[in-house]
Amino acid sequence: MSDKYIIQIKNLTKIFGDGVEIKALDGVNLDIERGEFLSIIGPSGSGKSTLLNLIGILDTPTSGTVLLNGVDVTKMSDKERSRTRNRELGFIFQYHHLLPDFNALENVMMPLLISGVKSSKAREVARKVLDEVGLGDRMEHRPNQLSGGQNQRVAIARALANKPSIVIGDEPTGNLDSKASGNIYELLRQLNREHNQTFILVTHDERMAAKTDRIIRLVDGRVAENSINSG
Amino acid sequence: MFELDVAARHIRSRHRQTIFSIIAVSLAVGIIIIAMSMMSGYTTIWIDSIVENQAHITVHPKENEDYIHLYHGLENHIYNQEGVEAVSSYFQGEAALQHKHNAEGVLLYGINPKDEKRVVNREKDMLVGEFASLENPGSRIILGFKLAKNLDVEMGDIVTAQIPGARPTDFTITGIFQTGTPVDEIIAFTNLERLQDFYGSGDVITGMGIKMSDAYAAEELANGIDRETGYDAVSWIEQNSEILSLLETSEGMVYFFYIVIFTISGFGIANVLIMIVMEKVGEIGMLMAMGTSRRSIMLIFLLEAGILGMAGVVIGCVLGYVASLAIASITIPVPPEMYFGMDHLPIVIEFENFITAGIFAMVINIIAGVFPARRASKMNPVEAIYSV
Ligand SMILES: Nc1ncnc2c1ncn2[C@@H]1O[C@H](COP(=O)(O)OP(=O)(O)O)[C@@H](O)[C@H]1O
Ligand SMILES: [Mg+2]
Repeated sequence: MSDKYIIQIKNLTKIFGDGVEIKALDGVNLDIERGEFLSIIGPSGSGKSTLLNLIGILDTPTSGTVLLNGVDVTKMSDKERSRTRNRELGFIFQYHHLLPDFNALENVMMPLLISGVKSSKAREVARKVLDEVGLGDRMEHRPNQLSGGQNQRVAIARALANKPSIVIGDEPTGNLDSKASGNIYELLRQLNREHNQTFILVTHDERMAAKTDRIIRLVDGRVAENSINSG
Repeated sequence: MFELDVAARHIRSRHRQTIFSIIAVSLAVGIIIIAMSMMSGYTTIWIDSIVENQAHITVHPKENEDYIHLYHGLENHIYNQEGVEAVSSYFQGEAALQHKHNAEGVLLYGINPKDEKRVVNREKDMLVGEFASLENPGSRIILGFKLAKNLDVEMGDIVTAQIPGARPTDFTITGIFQTGTPVDEIIAFTNLERLQDFYGSGDVITGMGIKMSDAYAAEELANGIDRETGYDAVSWIEQNSEILSLLETSEGMVYFFYIVIFTISGFGIANVLIMIVMEKVGEIGMLMAMGTSRRSIMLIFLLEAGILGMAGVVIGCVLGYVASLAIASITIPVPPEMYFGMDHLPIVIEFENFITAGIFAMVINIIAGVFPARRASKMNPVEAIYSV
């Protein structure tokens, strides 16, 4: 059963604040299949980022469980969480969060170096991935020498470098104009088809969401809609 | 080691501030090396001058006795002890020296110059005349130069020694010495036999000086002589314990200042690191998202403290070395009888001091790095990422 579902979320609740409590997630249940290209939509403050951060093991829930490949991540030690993030997860945020002191190639190498891959091997892999996102000719450029769309492509390459089974994006195109963001979506879609990696993308762009396999709509921390796109 | 790579990039990206913190550490290390070289210099000069100008062990009579009788046997016994290079017996007595209308109270030392010069090199202190002139058992005397001045006498003049209950005796001045110490004002040397005659004491002595091949073995041998013979043997270390402990105390005090100076330079490093950590919040969050462990984050910033500190230490050591050499080469216009006859500052450049200063600085710099590094490693990745 856990073979079909790469992610199984059960009764996930996240409450913020010690004084005034904010229920960011309120009993979310969600199963995600391997290789799915899925979008999460919903109004601002509905808990989209919170859900993504819990899937990405960047945060811990107040209650409920998240199983990645059948393993309960809420029970992991700090070390295991780091390791799982490094091996199984790729992150793309609204801002590219590239390391400003490293060039594109070095940024893409970083997850590989963190996992202990030798630098020569990491360089080789990073080159290939940068080629794949269409930045083969910009490898030596630093983030401040690249456009917003280009930097986001580098960030995507970095998220893919370690061949994670899950790629999560929190409004990955939120900072780009509609043409650039359309291109990024095309790219992500193409990568998803080629590598059969699971993509979970938060967006507030309904048109983009319409191009994904499934739409999850969150409202007030609950799943209000879970609909398969017929295409 | 991606941690080292990230650390190095952080430092390069902040090169203006990091250079200032490196300069601060360099200056601290440099100044402390100069201070240590001077301390070593002064300590060495003091100890050398003590070890050179005094017997390493002085044997005094037993308690409640004024003299050491039958001292030739004791001389032989001590001479045969391991590590003993020379033994010199002396007779010491107070007397008044008179020349014309001038009179001064002095300590007269009767010695056997052949033995004495093997214990303490008195010849090198001679301004005029030769110490060896006392080998002649005649009435010859050698005075300290201040004493000679006070008596207004010169080479060849006659001084009259007087003690209660003995006939005044004339001595001819055959030498004047200068040590640069108070000894110059109160001591006069003459022949042992001659002085024994003068005091009418018979063949006895009041003490014995011993020279050791290793000055630092003196304490142990002195204790041994005490125990075995019952005579009161005092080593130079015991004799000068006040000066030596003063030197030690001042060294301790100086260490306190070292800590203060290093701490100030440590704050410079902490400051730069706090700045980098604050500037790199988002980056730290992203590194965590990519799977960097908290330990690695900590390591990155400790490495930064280490790199800055190491650069400062290396530059500071070179600085301290060059400055110490420069200071040592400056001649100072002081009369030679001051500062033990030196005409420049005593600087002893010891490898040990560089190691001590370097380790000292590194430890404080790493400690300075701990606070910012911990702060970075304890960040909540979500807050860090979304703070940008
Ligand atoms: N660290 C936090 N502390 C307190 N409240 C938070 C925190 N993070 C998110 N929230 C709150 O939780 C709710 C959901 O936030 P979020 O998941 O960021 O929503 P979305 O991404 O859908 O806009 C919001 O009301 C937000 O204010
Ligand atoms: Mg959000």
